[in-house]
Formats: sequence, structure tokens, C-alpha cells
Amino acid sequence: MRALVKDGIGVFSPQGFLDGDNTAMILTIDDIDATVKLNVNMILVSLKKVIFFNRNGLDIFVKMFSKVRSTNHIKVGFCDYDLKKFNAINNFYKNDISFSLFETQEIASLFSSHFKHKDLKILLYNEDKSQRSALAIELHDNGHNPVIAQTLEEFNTKKIAKKAYDIIIKNSLLGQMGESVATRVTGNAIIYTLSTFLDADIGSIFDISYHSNSLNVGFRLFIFDAYKVVSMNVHGLNFFSRLASSAAEYNATICFVGLTFEKIPLSFKENMEDSGIMFFTQMEDILENKKLLEELGASSAGSANKRVLNKGMVTELPQFIEATVATIEMMTNSKAVKDAASIDKIKILDSNDKIASSIGFYGEIDGMVILVFPKEIAKKACQLLIGEQTDDINLILDTLAELVNIVGGKIKTLLADQDINVNITLPRTYKNIDSLMEVAQGRKGVQVDLSFDNDKFLFFLTR
Amino acid sequence: MLLNNGELVKAAQIAETDLALKSYLKNIVNKPIYGFRNEVSEISQIFGILGVSSSQQTVHNYMVSLLSPSKWVLFKLNSNSFHELQAQLSRKWKTILAHLEINDIDIESSITLLPASIIVTEALFSDKKADVELLRATSDIDFNTILKRLCGLDLFDVCEKIGKKWEMSDTVIKIVQAASGEKPSEDSIVNNLGKWMHLLLFYELSQPTFIEAGLNDFISFNVDYVEDIYNDFATLMEIE
Repeated sequence: MRALVKDGIGVFSPQGFLDGDNTAMILTIDDIDATVKLNVNMILVSLKKVIFFNRNGLDIFVKMFSKVRSTNHIKVGFCDYDLKKFNAINNFYKNDISFSLFETQEIASLFSSHFKHKDLKILLYNEDKSQRSALAIELHDNGHNPVIAQTLEEFNTKKIAKKAYDIIIKNSLLGQMGESVATRVTGNAIIYTLSTFLDADIGSIFDISYHSNSLNVGFRLFIFDAYKVVSMNVHGLNFFSRLASSAAEYNATICFVGLTFEKIPLSFKENMEDSGIMFFTQMEDILENKKLLEELGASSAGSANKRVLNKGMVTELPQFIEATVATIEMMTNSKAVKDAASIDKIKILDSNDKIASSIGFYGEIDGMVILVFPKEIAKKACQLLIGEQTDDINLILDTLAELVNIVGGKIKTLLADQDINVNITLPRTYKNIDSLMEVAQGRKGVQVDLSFDNDKFLFFLTR
Repeated sequence: MLLNNGELVKAAQIAETDLALKSYLKNIVNKPIYGFRNEVSEISQIFGILGVSSSQQTVHNYMVSLLSPSKWVLFKLNSNSFHELQAQLSRKWKTILAHLEINDIDIESSITLLPASIIVTEALFSDKKADVELLRATSDIDFNTILKRLCGLDLFDVCEKIGKKWEMSDTVIKIVQAASGEKPSEDSIVNNLGKWMHLLLFYELSQPTFIEAGLNDFISFNVDYVEDIYNDFATLMEIE
């Protein structure tokens, strides 16, 4: 079974009945591997459409969870259950729950490092005090405002004021956490979250290939959120010094935020500063200072990386167009046609009411595909995924991201047919052309005007 | 028509001349779920054993199987596993109808139309397998919804057209539409049968063979729709 991947969470959704005979068919190690490759930080099994399960059925998932967590350092568990199912799972595993339980996927997403919305007010209760604390700390770390009810009575009283909270969490719990270095993208900066001790293990839990690819596709600012770091030894120091040296080759900046030197020798700080690493007390000191961001390279990911198209890219251009055309045709059930093509800097004649989405790819060839749509046409192109009329711009942008993700997946498949292996990045969306131009301004590439049902949109391939 | 009128002998004589039908009937009736010790090979014998309603049901199953592809692409099925699914559904549907004390040849036959939805899905999406997989990895969307949003018709509407072509009764068609889990019927009896059929379908699609075939999530299972009959179903199917 394939997982649905959204906001860094891979969700498997079996239907019907789960027992010892069929569960192994639903989730195989190949399914997990394919999902992990999509850069997820959480793998869940949804019980929403399961009407019956027994201990034997869940045991197979739980064994698989344990293997995945130890190999890939990601969060694992179940989601989308009602009280009856929650009680059944608790009954099966009593005090030995090593996996996480999230009442809904929306709640699970609060614990994903890819989650975009911050500052949500969350009412939280769990009868286990340590669980209450663990949930609250994790929510707080992810930028939310948890309100903890200490007793069930307090919870019931507070939850009456439903409108006071964005989300209410009661029957959820955190199992053993994934230990990988969580990654999120904000604007053009990449933020890695570190915790506890930075020693020789950092080499195995930090995704160095993701970091290298981020450098390759133009990211220039890397921030290490180190509020939760307790200490660091010489192996940790060496690792970050090496990372800073490789970043220097790309003119990129590495910053540490919130790292205290109470239990770390001050000489380490000097060494790291000599390697070019910068230190800040709070995340806001960087993210809310536009001028500083500009100096550090976070608002010029595009312009800092004006690479020209190469022969490999131009040779494969038909695959990129084919992927886009095939996807639009599938999504709209209409014929997509190529109107005109040119090699130049991106040109958008009328930037009013237009939105865009981009996806990067890296590997044997690297670059970025940008799609620019008039808002109304984007809605039409995404109709299959949206399913209903909407003017909610966030929903339209999210859906456009899904569409460009499908285009990226198709590109990957078509290139693989030519024996060219690439991976794709997470899609980005742009609410308007100004924000797109921050990334695309000055880049040369191939611009193709496309249309379906006479509705025009723009394809741009660049490096 | 002859089977509808209960003329088993005449029907058997005609069936004897259709070698494909003969082979299908022999293959089905000698499956372990029918529990016969010795091989049954004569059509008249088979019709006699099955009785009028089951004979009619089996012939309908045969007609549906004629629509199936020689090579399955989208789903990992073959003629044997598809026939197995038909046989399992038919046997269990009969048990359900006995439990509900419903004795109606048409209603007994209604289950035969359900697997047609799988054939329709295979026919419509097999040459777009990779694209559909990509789409479904990005969005929580089943084949039924994809078809509905693209064409305005869903899989069960296509099944309805097949049923009408084969002159199946309106009741049969309404039950199959309700069994989609998306279109409850206003007729309480039809709706109740739709619930049992919907749950039975997903009980079968939860079997390892059919999960491996990729059928478990080809359409969406509506748990809420069948919640009120689940305990009865679990008792009847001896689910522990």
C-alpha cells in the first residue's frame, strides 16, 4: 500500500478489517522505504476507515514501527481513531506503548517539523502527567501555545469555551520520539533542530545529503535551533567545523540560535566562530530582521545562484514539458497544449492575481520547475484535488503545491526511464509574483507558455 | 430468461453448448467453499445442486467475468482470484440474506454486479497506472471520486448502466448504488441491504489476496454508514 504524504507525514490508510493474516500485506518494508525517501519525519497508520482490529493485527504494525524508528529516527504511530479504538489500543499495550497516538491527522501535524502554521492556541489534557508535559514541551518547541489542564475537571470546564482554542487534544500521546535532526524551511532559510548532546552520533542523525542538496539548489542560510542542546564534545565540534567549511565553498552561512556555553567549553565557541559559524540568542533576532536576513543570504537564494542551463537540462526539456502536460491533462481531463517557448529570464507580463508554485530537483541533473497560474485557472487546474468551489487562498496554494509535487514525481519517473536519477525537494508556493521574483529574478531558463481549454499558464525551467 | 422462469433442464441443455460457461460453472462449483467431495461435472447436475437462484447468480457472475481483462494491469488479479472473489461474495451474500430472512432471486443476484466496479476501474485506469499512483500519493482520493470529478459519473453509475443493459431489476440497481457507501437509499430495506453489501465488500477486500491485489482502497469504505449493522455482521461472519 502507498502512503499519502503531506506536511512531512506519511499516512497509510487501510480499510475494513485488520488481523494477523492481512496486516503484513498492508505495510511492507518496501512501502516504508518508498515513504521514507519522500523526506517524511513521521509515519502513521490511520484507523479512520478500519472497523475491526485485533492485537495480532496491530502487533505487526508495532514491530514495523520499532524497526522504522530505530533505522530512520522518525516518529511512528496510529492516528484517526475514536474513543473506542483508543481504549482498545491502550488495553492491548497497557503501559508499554512505544509508538505515538494522535487522535487526528491535524493533531499529528502539530508535532511534525514540516508543519507550517504556528502560534496555535491548544488546550491539552492527558491523565498521565509525564505525557502532559511531553506533549506540551513538543508543542511549545514547534511554536504553539499549549494550555495544559491539570485535571479532567479543569479540562472539561475549559473546553466549554471551544472558540478560545484552535485545537483541543485529549486522547493523544507521544511514544518514543524520533531522534533525527528535524528540518524545516522558512522563507529561504533552512532550520535544523538539535537537542541533548552533540557528540559522534550527530554524523548519523544529521541528513548530510539533504543539506548538500539544499546548498546545490540555492539555499544560503542554515540555522541550527539549539535551545535544547545540553552539551557538546569535540566530535560535535569537529562535525560543525567541517560543515561550516563546506558551506563556505557555496558562500553560505551557518548560525546557531539559543546555544548556551554553561556546559560547553568557551574555546569551542571560538573555534566555531573561526570556522565562520555565527551565534544568536533568539530565533527572532534573525527571522524578524529583514536586513540581517538579506546580509546572511536568506532573501537572495535565487540571485546568489544564477547558474545557466546546461546541455543535460536542455536535452531533457521534453521530459519536463511532458510531465507538466500529462499532469495537467490528468487533472483537468482536457488537452494541454504548448503555445510558445523561449530561452531567457522569466517574463510575466501581467502579474495581477497570479500565484505560483515551484519544485526543485537534484541528483544527476539539478534545477527547478516553476508554474505560474492566474488564480482562477489554478483553481480549475486543481479542481480534481479540491473537489469543491473555494476562494480560500491557503487551500488553493496547498493544492497547487500538491499539483506541482505530482509534476515533480512525474519528472522523476520520466527521467528514471532515461536512466537519470534525481530526487525532488518539497514544493514551494508563492502568493503573488513579487514573492516568486525574490527567487526567480535574474535566473535564465526555458519559458514555455502552455494552455488547457484556452486557459493559459506558464512553465519555467531554470537552475 | 429460462433460469428466471425456473426451467433448469432447458437452461442446462443450452449451457452445455457454451464451453466457456460450462468450464466456468465447473470451476466455481468445485471450489472448496461449496464443499462437494466428488467432482461435479454435468451442467444439469450443477444447476440441480445450486438451485434456481444460485444458478442464476452464478450465470450472472459468469457474464460479469466476461467483461474482465485477459491480463490485469492496475490490480494484481487473474481470472482465478477474480472468480474466487465473486464466489466468496456470492456465498456470503446468500448467508446474509438468509439471516435477514429475505428470499428473493433478484436480490440474491444483486451481489454479482458489485465486482463489475473493479473491472470498470481496471478498464478505465490501467493505462494511467503510474499517473494515478502519483496522484493518490499526494491526495486522499479514491478511484470512484477521481472518475466522478472528471466525468460526472462514478463507478457505480457505470455498474448501473451494465445492470440495465442486462435487464436487471431496479431494486438490484438501487442496492448496488447504496452499496457504494456514498449514496444511501431512501427505501429503508434497500438501504439496509446496501449497508450489508458495503460491509461485505470490505470484509472480502481485507483478505490478504485482495490487499495484495491492491483492491483494499480502490473505493472508499464508509465506516459510519455500516456502524449500526456491524455487530450483527461480526456475529454472522464469526469475527473475533
